[in-house]
Amino acid sequence: MKKVSITGGKGGTGKSTVAVNLASIFSEYEETVLADLDVEGPVDHILLGIRLANESPVEIMLPFIDYSKCTSCGVCGKVCDTGAIVLSKEGKPFVFPRLCSGCRSCYFACPVKAISEGRRVLGYTYRTDLKYKKLTLVTGSLIEGEEHTSPVVLSARLRAEKTAKNLLLVDTSAGTGNTVSIALEGSDLVLAVTEPTPLGVHDLRMILELTNSMGLDTWVILNRAGIGPEDEVQKVVEEYGARLAARIPYSKEIVKSYVNRKPVVDLFPSSDISKIFRKLADEVKEVI
Amino acid sequence: MLEIVIASGKGGVGKSTLSSTLALILGKNGEKVVAVDADAEAPNLHLIFGVKEWEIVKDYREGWIAKIRYEKCDNCGICEKECPFKAIKLVDDKYVINEMICEGCLTCSIACPQRAIYRVRTSSGLLRAGKTPYGFPIVGAKLAVGRPNSGKLVTEVKNLAKEIGGNDSYYIVDAAAGIGCQVVSSLAGANGVILVVEPTPASLNDVARLHKLVKHFMLPSAIVINKADINPDFIPEILRFAERENIQYLGKIPYDDKVPESLILMKPLIQVFPESPASKALIDISNRIYQEIILNWREWFRRYKPAKPEPYKPLIIRPDNIPGG
Repeated sequence: MKKVSITGGKGGTGKSTVAVNLASIFSEYEETVLADLDVEGPVDHILLGIRLANESPVEIMLPFIDYSKCTSCGVCGKVCDTGAIVLSKEGKPFVFPRLCSGCRSCYFACPVKAISEGRRVLGYTYRTDLKYKKLTLVTGSLIEGEEHTSPVVLSARLRAEKTAKNLLLVDTSAGTGNTVSIALEGSDLVLAVTEPTPLGVHDLRMILELTNSMGLDTWVILNRAGIGPEDEVQKVVEEYGARLAARIPYSKEIVKSYVNRKPVVDLFPSSDISKIFRKLADEVKEVI
Repeated sequence: MLEIVIASGKGGVGKSTLSSTLALILGKNGEKVVAVDADAEAPNLHLIFGVKEWEIVKDYREGWIAKIRYEKCDNCGICEKECPFKAIKLVDDKYVINEMICEGCLTCSIACPQRAIYRVRTSSGLLRAGKTPYGFPIVGAKLAVGRPNSGKLVTEVKNLAKEIGGNDSYYIVDAAAGIGCQVVSSLAGANGVILVVEPTPASLNDVARLHKLVKHFMLPSAIVINKADINPDFIPEILRFAERENIQYLGKIPYDDKVPESLILMKPLIQVFPESPASKALIDISNRIYQEIILNWREWFRRYKPAKPEPYKPLIIRPDNIPGG
């Protein structure tokens, strides 16, 4: 199985647009899985015009304390990094579910085995087959109000990896923290989508720093090409030994496809934009 | 003192453009204002103001990272099995911790029967503060790439901002994309939210998710439609959402080529192209926020606070062997 991830650092540069269009092209030839790992705001299903199906909860461990065994030694509170276990004056532990990251340190640390493993649902994953193509969308979605994003990203990634036989495309969230690195882990190729503005360049630098330190081959996709000078992008690309793989100009077709819930390569198959996506898909296919 | 958060759920819809304009308008009205960049993973607000140097830069070393003492390790594999984030892998007959994934919890070091794992402090990023060329301060942070818990860093940013701005400043908080820990930290302790949306189904979807979070915090909110003319047919749907949720509608901003041009000049749009269509709309909207929300906050709060709170109810599955509370 080959894995190609689409990321970018800055939000709104066109990650999902690139992801759904490449997924649509690849799925004409072979079974393709697209994983939407922007679990805080997954929208690939909206861009593909489909309804999510096959829901499965993402559960993490939640400690339950058996007070008949608890000796109030306080070890669980000491090993808890997130402040989810608070000790009373007498050393009796209380659990605040919202703060718990489910790391299970307390479970392993308790010397009298007074902690049992309950579960807490942080979000859901979905697996949706497209009717007209060999494309399966796996989506992760965080429940509003939960703030531990990484277990949902990991769980959706694992479900996508289990589903994918030939090709897995991953669409990450914005940002450069570990929710992005968890999504990128194991990629054969990373496509970093950016735009020719100082903001795009700044965040491209951060994302290339991340992919370089993870040892991942990275291509840069310049979206909204033409809105500004490109020498700074070019400089960063060279500095990090990346490759500028495609330039996508601002186009009305992309906006139309975005609001019509259909990839531009399907809505306007003979447009110049579609040709750019097809050429990029060919190049990606060649290297993987 | 008031803390107003600019947020959108989706990235790239114009949060920083609106934040910078609002801060400038408050400054022009003689108010004390602090611009707060609450996106530590892709911090951009300083670039809009053209801030190149920081007066304060602090190393933020809150994080931990696990390390293996290989002389003690007997390759039993328990750490790999127990790591909740799958950050440990067997590579060439050696267990290796992926530092871009490890969250630094104690699980592997406690679970290891050989006591071969320990953890060390690591730099999670840096906090920074400086002055914009427009007289008011800017505070922000930069998370070290691949690190977790950017939300804690955002809380530190807000604390530093308050040290600098004191009790008589207005805080304009430019939130990150998403609804995760950075956004939760941005909303905690705030007084109101300005939602920015594009007239697309994807953007409305994300703003609706964000608004659920806003309701957890019982915060009133107002909404601005950016790039309104790229898909005007969708605007009624946004207005219906705003009405249903008792969100104040503040107006719309047209798509304008001058916005990226101003970004490239690294100067706020209303400074370099004050007559451009987006500038005029942004100035109008910022003036409304100043008059109707900031100067009139008590009344605005009463009028637009969520009709019913969205309480946080965790979905919990109890273990079989623990009865009762």
